[in-house]
Amino acid sequence: MLSLIKKKRVYADKQRLITGENYVVVDTELTGLDEKRDSIISIGAIKMHGGRIDMGNTFYRLVKPKTTIRRESIIVHEITPSEVMGEQEIGKVLSDFLRFCGDDIIIGHFTSIDLSFINREKKRVYGPPIQNPVLDTFVIYEWLRARGQIACPQHYKLYEIAKCLGIPVNGAHNAIMDAFTTAQVFQRFIPMLIAAGIEKTEDLLRVGNPLRGGESLRVTSEISNF
Amino acid sequence: MLIEDVIGFLKNVPPFQFLDEATLKTVSGKVSMEFYPQNTLILKQDGLPSEYLRIIKKGGVKVSMVSEDGEEVVIDYRGEGDTFGFLSLVGKDRVRANVTAIDDTICYLVDKDTALKLLDSNPVFTEYFLKSHLTKYIDRTYKEMHNKSLFYGGSDRLLFTTQVGEIATRKVVTVREEAAIQEAAQIMAKNKISSLVIVDDKELPVGILTDRDLREKVVAKGRNVSEPVRGIMSLPLIRVDYRDYCFEAVLKMIRHNVHHILVIKDGTLEGVLTNHDLMLLQGASPLSFAKDIENQQTIEGLIPVSEKITRIIGLLLNEGARASNITKIITELNDRLVRKVLEIAEKKYGQPPVPYCWIVFGSEGRKEQTFKTDQDNAIIYADTTPEEEERVKKYFSAFTLFVRDSLIKCGFPLCPADFMASNPRWCQPLKAWKRYFSNWISTPTADAVLNSITFFDFRPMYGEVSLSDSLRDSLISMLKDQKVFLGYMANMAIKNRPPIGFLKTFVVEKSGEHKDELNLKVKGIAPIVDIVRLFALEKGIKETSTLERINALRGKHTIVQEYAEELEQAFEFIMLLRIQLQYEQIKSGRTPDNFINPNKLSSLEKKSLKEAFNLISKIQDMIIELYKSMIW
Repeated sequence: MLSLIKKKRVYADKQRLITGENYVVVDTELTGLDEKRDSIISIGAIKMHGGRIDMGNTFYRLVKPKTTIRRESIIVHEITPSEVMGEQEIGKVLSDFLRFCGDDIIIGHFTSIDLSFINREKKRVYGPPIQNPVLDTFVIYEWLRARGQIACPQHYKLYEIAKCLGIPVNGAHNAIMDAFTTAQVFQRFIPMLIAAGIEKTEDLLRVGNPLRGGESLRVTSEISNF
Repeated sequence: MLIEDVIGFLKNVPPFQFLDEATLKTVSGKVSMEFYPQNTLILKQDGLPSEYLRIIKKGGVKVSMVSEDGEEVVIDYRGEGDTFGFLSLVGKDRVRANVTAIDDTICYLVDKDTALKLLDSNPVFTEYFLKSHLTKYIDRTYKEMHNKSLFYGGSDRLLFTTQVGEIATRKVVTVREEAAIQEAAQIMAKNKISSLVIVDDKELPVGILTDRDLREKVVAKGRNVSEPVRGIMSLPLIRVDYRDYCFEAVLKMIRHNVHHILVIKDGTLEGVLTNHDLMLLQGASPLSFAKDIENQQTIEGLIPVSEKITRIIGLLLNEGARASNITKIITELNDRLVRKVLEIAEKKYGQPPVPYCWIVFGSEGRKEQTFKTDQDNAIIYADTTPEEEERVKKYFSAFTLFVRDSLIKCGFPLCPADFMASNPRWCQPLKAWKRYFSNWISTPTADAVLNSITFFDFRPMYGEVSLSDSLRDSLISMLKDQKVFLGYMANMAIKNRPPIGFLKTFVVEKSGEHKDELNLKVKGIAPIVDIVRLFALEKGIKETSTLERINALRGKHTIVQEYAEELEQAFEFIMLLRIQLQYEQIKSGRTPDNFINPNKLSSLEKKSLKEAFNLISKIQDMIIELYKSMIW
């Protein structure tokens, strides 16, 4: 009984307004999408307070890969094997990353993918998966689209969604730039969510729950930007 | 990474571009970013103080104010690279205006602590904000804001007795119908006007563009601002003749639901009349107050009217009027009051035996009175024959005593130095005045110099103006090449060095009743007045008010040429501080004085005051250099 209470992270204040909530927007770059074969190359994250993106409060680390980097992913990330040589081991990066996240709500685009890789590594090092509440921008996008808040066609890729929302997208796909793009996408969602009646954290956690977009788990490399 | 983008952006944005690399990097690291969809109300008028200085990265905002009767007045449009929220942040008071996104807008936010730290440690930063925000604000609030307190308490009578031509705005700004909406809005912003007349290629008016059109047809509809203005102008054009009475204009405004009407004179465009013009007319405005004075026939009737002056000035201060505007109105009202007293005196004692001119000098002569100031007046009468002299003196003796005592009743205290027309020495024929002046100039004793700085600021207030003009002309020719006398004046101008010590802290009174306080009049206003008077006397300028002198000296005096605007700003700022101080003192039942406690000033005010003092000091150094041989 006691251990259950201790372990289960009780999210403090679900009555909080989404505009007053603390978020950490996360993106990982992977060697590929195969959970068994592939691994994390880099982690990028940026903090948000409500709709405010903290430009200076960022996290970006390259990880020494356990598996060889696949040719096709080099083309996407422009991270070559020699660049990640000499970088830190995943264990050290991960503990720094978790400290950076704190108790904030984690946001990502197809967050389930990022989290499954993070949790796999975590399992090896510490054990329990990440307990933070999680939101998926793709799921929120679909939810808003269904309610007529966004006049964009069905897109999967972060960059297509960003482009449709008028957010400039440039540079290579690196984890910090993608986290920033994701943050800007979420920033645009906030007024739309409020217009659709989503004002409290508990409501947002419901409509943005990664598990709602079941297909995100089945997503193929064709749709994802890794 | 991301910060590099922020640094890159701020590098091209004033005043951040003036910061050094290291500071810019520190600041950028603390920047956050927000997004506001079109039409978001970002800051709300009367809302809590702004916690951030916002810099527009993309998009644009509209700054506007809503008067108590619900009309929105656009004060400014700001675009990429512009900032907002500064005044409220620094002043720690409520937000003064609504700021609304007129487009999808992204802002970088600098938190309050960081912004204040920048202000404290970077003079260029401060200077930029003072120049770009403060003056703009004070100017526009005065011109465009109208307050309920001005609206009520007046009478509607004036609507029926005032002709449109008397109150319409004469300066008509036009733009061609094919001009872009944005261009038109920029012209309106630049000219600080709420309407623009649209003309065709023959310069004939075809429509009018108002703030409301921009709001309803452009902002609300998300219309592209590069479209021609033709598409959004208001039709039909409502016109009134300049001779029509104002109530007719009101009727037309109501009937056509417009706030702007074209005023036509002899078939051509004469001006624009706005509902604001009409409201000012109606309320307890200075204008209706002036009429009140005119209607009085006795001194007893004038007393209660004169007591209202303080209240009027309070209203103007509450509206954020500029110092120069306030002093102008005080001068206008006091002048009318004094003229009325003189009219009543003439009725009582009969027409004077010779033409005369009532002159005023000192702060009254410079039109720089704040609240009731000492009487500083004199009479110049036309030269007479010795036979007449006795009769003339007798007449004016009784006449001036009556005026003196009447002015006391109306709240103008006696002049402690007895610089009043009731003193026979200061009630003299023109030739005697010329003799006085030439003696003072040729033999500049301490008394003569003191008299000169007081009397040389004279201006005619009532009676035969040509007498005063003649005296002024003589003075100008007497001063030609009088290097020695001007040297004495120069010494006066540098006598009061501004109170800024080595550590840039204020030097305040060390003991006595005003310990730790600063005398604004002696340390701030007097030096500027003395400096500008010196320059005006050097160049034979006829104007007497400090601001008018500065203006007349542009292009004639090398120092003024370079520092005219800074001098004007410094002078206006200190005057405004002084007026506010005195109004607060009067409100709490104290006698107004000039002592201010620097610690009670906001940081912005302190900074502005220091800037003003630095300027005075700089110009005094130049005077010392110019008059080297004569400075002791």
